[in-house]
Amino acid sequence: MAEKPMWEQIGSGFVQHYYQQFDTDRVKLAELYTDASCLTWEGEGFQGKNAIMTKLSSLPFQTIQHSITAQDHHPTPDSCVMSMVMGQLKADQDQVMGFQQVFLLKNVDNKWVCTNDMFRLALHNFGA
Amino acid sequence: MGDKPIWEQIGSSFVQHYYQLFDTDRTQLGSIYSDARCPVTNKFCRVFSRGIFSGQKCGSIDASCLTWEGQQFQGKAAIVEKLSSLPFTKIAHSITAQDHQPTPDSCILSMVVGQLKADDDPIMGFHQSFILKNINEAWVCTNDMFRLALHNFG
Repeated sequence: MAEKPMWEQIGSGFVQHYYQQFDTDRVKLAELYTDASCLTWEGEGFQGKNAIMTKLSSLPFQTIQHSITAQDHHPTPDSCVMSMVMGQLKADQDQVMGFQQVFLLKNVDNKWVCTNDMFRLALHNFGA
Repeated sequence: MGDKPIWEQIGSSFVQHYYQLFDTDRTQLGSIYSDARCPVTNKFCRVFSRGIFSGQKCGSIDASCLTWEGQQFQGKAAIVEKLSSLPFTKIAHSITAQDHQPTPDSCILSMVVGQLKADDDPIMGFHQSFILKNINEAWVCTNDMFRLALHNFG
């Protein structure tokens, strides 16, 4: 069986690590971001590692669990890796909710960091 | 009130154009993707290691990639063929939310959450993400990922 393409290995490796860290001790996510990273969390923008970590650390739940339904990875024109994740999460005693997240990963000094991160709960204001 | 940042203007304008085109005549979507031959560099891109691209060079580091429900397509022709052959006559997309960010390499990353209705099927949620790159003064879509919001549990 052929090996997965490089960008899929990098992307899926990152995604697994990200959610594992998020669910166990999200303070440790700091190493994945740089001062040039951008996060958009439910429509609100945060720039740089410090602002991002302040936001993630202050999210109002004690326990959180992510479950990945699907993930896709692409190489981008500028040798980055784009990853899109669709899944479900459960925070504390709240009901299970769908979410979508997109990451852009860049190799900086031989390490893959997250330069762009966008997260949304899959909540629609109409229809089914 | 300040203007929206430029990447938001470009991103939201692209998103509006994309879904308008998709819903009215998706065979015209070719205009937003890039050809297999890069007009700017002459570099060959990475080699795909499986599927129909196995062992082949794609021809351009800027050839567009689409992943549609987990299936990958490379280059404008393959992408348009896939989109044109989707098995519905009518389609309507409704955007619930969209986010846009500038990337380190001057591209734009856009994420869309929405709902769609194909023919008489029930409304379904979808997720789509795009990377836009400025090539020869036009913003083209180099990366496109689409998934229906279907979960297998819970």
